[in-house]
Amino acid sequence: MLKIAIVGCGKVADQHVAAIHRIPECEIVSVCDWEPLMAKQLGQRFGIAGCFSDLKEMLEAVSPDIVHITTPPRSHYSLAKQCLESGSHVYLEKPFTVTASETESLIQLAQRRGLKITAGHNYLFTLEMLEMRRLVEKGFLGGRPIHLESYWSYDLGDLRYASAFLGNRNHWVRQLPGQLFHNIISHGIGKLAEFLDDELTEIIATAHQSEQLRSLGAQEVLDELRVMIRDNRGTTAFFCFSTQIRGLNQLRVYGPSGSVTADIITGSLVRNKSRSYKSYLTYFVPPLKSAHEYFRNARVNVANFLTRRLYQDFGMKELIERFYNSVRTGSPLPIPYREIILTARIMDEIFVQIYPGRSEMPEIGHQESGQAATVAVSSVA
Amino acid sequence: MSSEYIALASDRILVTGSNGFIGTRVVEILLGYGYRNIRCFVRPSSRLDRLEKVLSQFDAGKDVALVTGDLLSPTDCRKAAEGVSVIYHLAAGMEKSFAGAFMNSALATRNLMDAFLRFAKPKRFVNVSSFAVYSNLALKRGALLDENCPLEDAPQERFDAYGFGKLKQEELVKEYGEVHNLPYVILRPGYVFGPGKRELNGRVGTSAFGLFVQVSGTQSLPLTYVDNCAEAIVLAGFKAGIDSEILNVVDDELLTGQQFLKAYKDKTKSFISVRIPYVVGYTMSLLWEKYCQRSKNQLPPAFNRRRCSAEWKGNRYSNQKLKERLGWKPRVPMERAMEAFLSQFTSNGNDDPLKR
Ligand SMILES: NC(=O)c1ccc[n+]([C@@H]2O[C@H](COP(=O)([O-])OP(=O)(O)OC[C@H]3O[C@@H](n4cnc5c(N)ncnc54)[C@H](OP(=O)(O)O)[C@@H]3O)[C@@H](O)[C@H]2O)c1
Repeated sequence: MLKIAIVGCGKVADQHVAAIHRIPECEIVSVCDWEPLMAKQLGQRFGIAGCFSDLKEMLEAVSPDIVHITTPPRSHYSLAKQCLESGSHVYLEKPFTVTASETESLIQLAQRRGLKITAGHNYLFTLEMLEMRRLVEKGFLGGRPIHLESYWSYDLGDLRYASAFLGNRNHWVRQLPGQLFHNIISHGIGKLAEFLDDELTEIIATAHQSEQLRSLGAQEVLDELRVMIRDNRGTTAFFCFSTQIRGLNQLRVYGPSGSVTADIITGSLVRNKSRSYKSYLTYFVPPLKSAHEYFRNARVNVANFLTRRLYQDFGMKELIERFYNSVRTGSPLPIPYREIILTARIMDEIFVQIYPGRSEMPEIGHQESGQAATVAVSSVA
Repeated sequence: MSSEYIALASDRILVTGSNGFIGTRVVEILLGYGYRNIRCFVRPSSRLDRLEKVLSQFDAGKDVALVTGDLLSPTDCRKAAEGVSVIYHLAAGMEKSFAGAFMNSALATRNLMDAFLRFAKPKRFVNVSSFAVYSNLALKRGALLDENCPLEDAPQERFDAYGFGKLKQEELVKEYGEVHNLPYVILRPGYVFGPGKRELNGRVGTSAFGLFVQVSGTQSLPLTYVDNCAEAIVLAGFKAGIDSEILNVVDDELLTGQQFLKAYKDKTKSFISVRIPYVVGYTMSLLWEKYCQRSKNQLPPAFNRRRCSAEWKGNRYSNQKLKERLGWKPRVPMERAMEAFLSQFTSNGNDDPLKR
């Protein structure tokens, strides 16, 4: 039975509790928040006896096997370090840390101590992403990926959340080097990292503020981001974050003879084999094949719903369970360290380019915007 | 000011949630009564148009101080509470998440009470709670639901984050009353309606799979028109001899769910609704609840017996205690209140509750 603890008893903690409750052979033994009332409300609602407001005290009292850290990003590094130093494995919510150097240092610490750490990139483990990975591994693309596209649309429509950080310079989101982007894009960038080489030759990031955001009066917050990336093998990637586009949340992977699109919003995985047809058949057959492909997705989703495999936060439960299994059995981690580091490095570079002067200069080479930046990622894993 | 009242016109008064639906009316009524020394607490991100409009209607409006901050910050709470005698605490967490609702209802209240006790001369802390704290599970249909009704003991099962926040808020207020002698009064308004609130309350009906469903419809709604409710809140800040009291706020001449929805639909001409008997609603809620349990919340437990009972079972309500203890009576009769509420809608079909 794994002993689990949660640090940070805000909104995300509830999701973690629900996901952990679906996993056998583990028990949440304690929760911790610097505000005792927050720890107590979570503990009370889920019948968790150990409620702490001091992490050191909690680590000493319950020696958890695994600690989930679900606090705002600025505290991630020091809390994770403390947990690793006292001998617990760590599941660290996204964004993993504020800078890539902190990411590397945490991973090195975990390795030195013989412990494991993972990042809360749970969207890598949704049903359609699992299916996509399986297809790619089977060779569906017909070779290594040539181009990737990752789209992440973010609806500012719920202005209750948005106005909280837009109207308040001291809000923790505003304190991050990449502001709004920083808190969200690791999901979309993490998906690219899986298929990119550690050595990146080019990152070109450009960002602006949408009309909608301007009308809300937050001057220096940008909310439209586009990024072009190239690695040393020539694989290219495009990343788009938008608050204007609605309902677009996809990863597209293009290979020499096939491509796949994993759509998180509709939970579908659309396969496309590059094939040519004779004469006018090219206008008839491919659309019908696409129709069939979408129909197949609907069928799969209905079947998964009826067999209760499809539910909200499946991705989080899957990632947590895989991480626990890795801790238990010594099997490989669900997210290789190189991907976590690459994600952090790409993010660092993006923020330096779009918010010059805001973030600390990361260690990766950075040149004038528009020019190629060489990004060498040392492999720690 | 007679001995019936604890506060003087010169006493400094704080209103939290002052830019909100009810808060703006509380400020308006205070100004109407001639109170000048008012401090309105708002967040940096708060929309102020409604409040500014009210302030502009009174000469004394320019004397009202707007204090900006967040009740989650003890420093901001000190800024808010320093030197005040009466606090009207209306700020509340309306978030869907339990943690969010808890923070902005309970934690914020704890911070505010701490600051009030430390940096002010507390005469009265008016805590605006809600009917959401009650559980009528043990009451029969049609039985009287008054201030003695049991409180909800399983807000998580009821899937009601807002109610959870309000319950915990009340617990803290009562604890501060007992342990720190905080002079408090708790008001529990029912369904507050009026211009400025366009959404229909779940007690009227609920959107399910693109359909507006009214369960029962024969039950009376614990309605209170926003001006009547604000009047009760204001009085609760001044009346002597009501420390530690809990008072429900509902109007006279309550309407049933069916009557309310019909008036709404007649005005907006916007949508189709279906009505189902209470037993059917209850059975469906029970099935939904069981499925959620068996499937480990594959569906959110949005429908469940506790909620069904609280919102649609139907009880009688009383404002007797409110009238006796505060000398309150509704400023606006129900007919005029409904007219004012409906005046905010057009009849061009844009007010379909399903589209919101
Ligand atoms: N409406 C009803 O039917 C009803 C029924 C029963 C009881 N009540 C109670 O009546 C009170 C007022 O309700 P309402 O309908 O007027 O709600 P509302 O319009 O949503 O107002 C809520 C207010 O609370 C403020 N607030 C929330 N968190 C805060 C924080 N951390 N710091 C400072 N301010 C914060 C909000 O500020 P922002 O504007 O910045 O968000 C807003 O002004 C609440 O306590 C509610 O529980 C309402």
